Amino acid sequence: MAVFDRGVASAPWTLKLTAGSFHKLSALLTLAALILVFSFGNAAFFSVNNGLTVLLQTSVIGLLGIGMTLVIITGGIDLSVGSVLALSGTITGLSVKAGIPVAPSMVLGVVTGAACGAFNGFVITKMRITPFVATLGMMLIARGVALQLTGAAPISRLGEAFGVLGNGSLFRIVEKTGGIFPKVVFPGIPYPVILLAIVAILAAFLLNKRQAGRHIYATGSNEEASRLSGVLVDRTKIFAYTLSGALAGLSGNVLMSRLVTVQPNEGVMYELDAIAAAVIGGASLMGGVGNISGTMIGAFIIGVLRNGLNMAGVSAFIQQIVIGFIVILAVYVDQIRNQR
Amino acid sequence: MTPQTQSATPLVQMIDIEKHFGGIRAVNGVSLDLYPGEVVGVLGHNGAGKSCLMRILSGAMIPNEGSIKVNGETTEIHNPHDSRDLGIETIYQTLALANHLNAPSNLFLGRELKTRFGNLDDTKMMSETIRILKRLNPNFKNLNDPVSSLSGGQRQVIAIARAIYFDVKILIMDEPTAALGPSETAMVGELVKQLRAEGIGILLVSHDMHDVFELCDRVIVMNKGQNVGSHPIEDVTKDDVLSLIIKGELPHDWVPRSQEKTQ
Repeated sequence: MAVFDRGVASAPWTLKLTAGSFHKLSALLTLAALILVFSFGNAAFFSVNNGLTVLLQTSVIGLLGIGMTLVIITGGIDLSVGSVLALSGTITGLSVKAGIPVAPSMVLGVVTGAACGAFNGFVITKMRITPFVATLGMMLIARGVALQLTGAAPISRLGEAFGVLGNGSLFRIVEKTGGIFPKVVFPGIPYPVILLAIVAILAAFLLNKRQAGRHIYATGSNEEASRLSGVLVDRTKIFAYTLSGALAGLSGNVLMSRLVTVQPNEGVMYELDAIAAAVIGGASLMGGVGNISGTMIGAFIIGVLRNGLNMAGVSAFIQQIVIGFIVILAVYVDQIRNQR
Repeated sequence: MTPQTQSATPLVQMIDIEKHFGGIRAVNGVSLDLYPGEVVGVLGHNGAGKSCLMRILSGAMIPNEGSIKVNGETTEIHNPHDSRDLGIETIYQTLALANHLNAPSNLFLGRELKTRFGNLDDTKMMSETIRILKRLNPNFKNLNDPVSSLSGGQRQVIAIARAIYFDVKILIMDEPTAALGPSETAMVGELVKQLRAEGIGILLVSHDMHDVFELCDRVIVMNKGQNVGSHPIEDVTKDDVLSLIIKGELPHDWVPRSQEKTQ
């Protein structure tokens, strides 16, 4: 929705906010408030190092959230991303074990994710199964395949090159002190964060500036009208689900690379984090509404909450409770805004 | 229908069109033709098959039997894209607008203008939208708002603008004035006359007898999926048309009204 909220100054003397920018502003303020509160609570929270850690921790949810946003805008949902993430990582790991170099193996993993997404799209558009059921099926299928291929055992000893994507960083500045441990001046921007930034910009560009993106919004807004206007609705949906699957595959590779181990039971319930990020960011499950910048803010709200609560020594169980309330609150704020 | 249009090739010929859903024959062997610069009213009860027939022509529905000729050439219309490529535009009763998108996005939906690099050219689409909407409704503002926030009349104007912007040759209007106030209805009437003068063929689906008798050159009446009468407007009265709609036949003592006068 915020795609169209540039400069609607009908009455110059009043500051008029469009619905989309109002939601984004409130989400941004929430994020700022969280950072402020946690900074007072713990001096170590507001530091370059911890900032980069939050960015790193959020990159997986962020990547999943971008794909989820595309799907949610079309009026659908993708419950399979957590399982597809695990399957893609598994395929990459098995390929590396089979002797294929790391880079082509990762491409293979992402392609696997895209194939799962395309299958979702096919089931939804051609077999006319609702997105909830279709992707629920894929969630079970992908998880089952990943567990079957590995015998539910993790794959380790994948070599140093496998860990570069998840653990490497750009602009790392290290000062040689002569001692055993060199002094780290700047820890560098982790590769996953750079990847997230690139993907987010590309996805925002796709949604705002390309015909495919416009058709994603149109399909979610009014499917029948889009069809009558000559939009290839089925192709648009398959495209969205394929991208979501590919991004799940990419985040799977990032996650497994960070662990330098392939865990076939990794990523359980990640789809819910991704949906939460999109919804906090203002995406509507009814379709037609949502944007990448909102989802990024949503992902960082979840990331900052997790990190801050961890540093404050709050248990993981209570974190879940808090995030649950935040999701409900975000949607409630959205509804109040719509009633105005 | 004047003799000169009769001699020309019809813009559209729909020949023996049939469409059934299970055992129900929604359209049963209907033929229809439309000449350039002609306004044909398509009348009938709800469920008489007129919307179905129009949907077949606009590509939203595929007929079971029959053929369609455009400019004398047999064509296959499989989807709305094909139909638009042939210059057939439709204004749907439901308007078929994407509510979350703004006016230019709706106007160009499915046919977006692009820059050299294949990106959406929003600036151009906006300026074109302003230009065309000015012709239809001079005080049209808030083009950037989602169309869900616009009034019924404004939404109708966008739906009409979308149909006439792209080199239209055949225009299907499904109840174009149902949601409109008096001044906007008059605007649509003016527009129909203007388009007719430009040589565009118009199929007007309407329940409003006043509109039909003011705008149409000819009426086609459908009853129970069949074409029960096709008459030049000067040959029939409102009562004749009502008889066709309700009973499916003309009054027993009917003679073409134009001949009646000359006798």
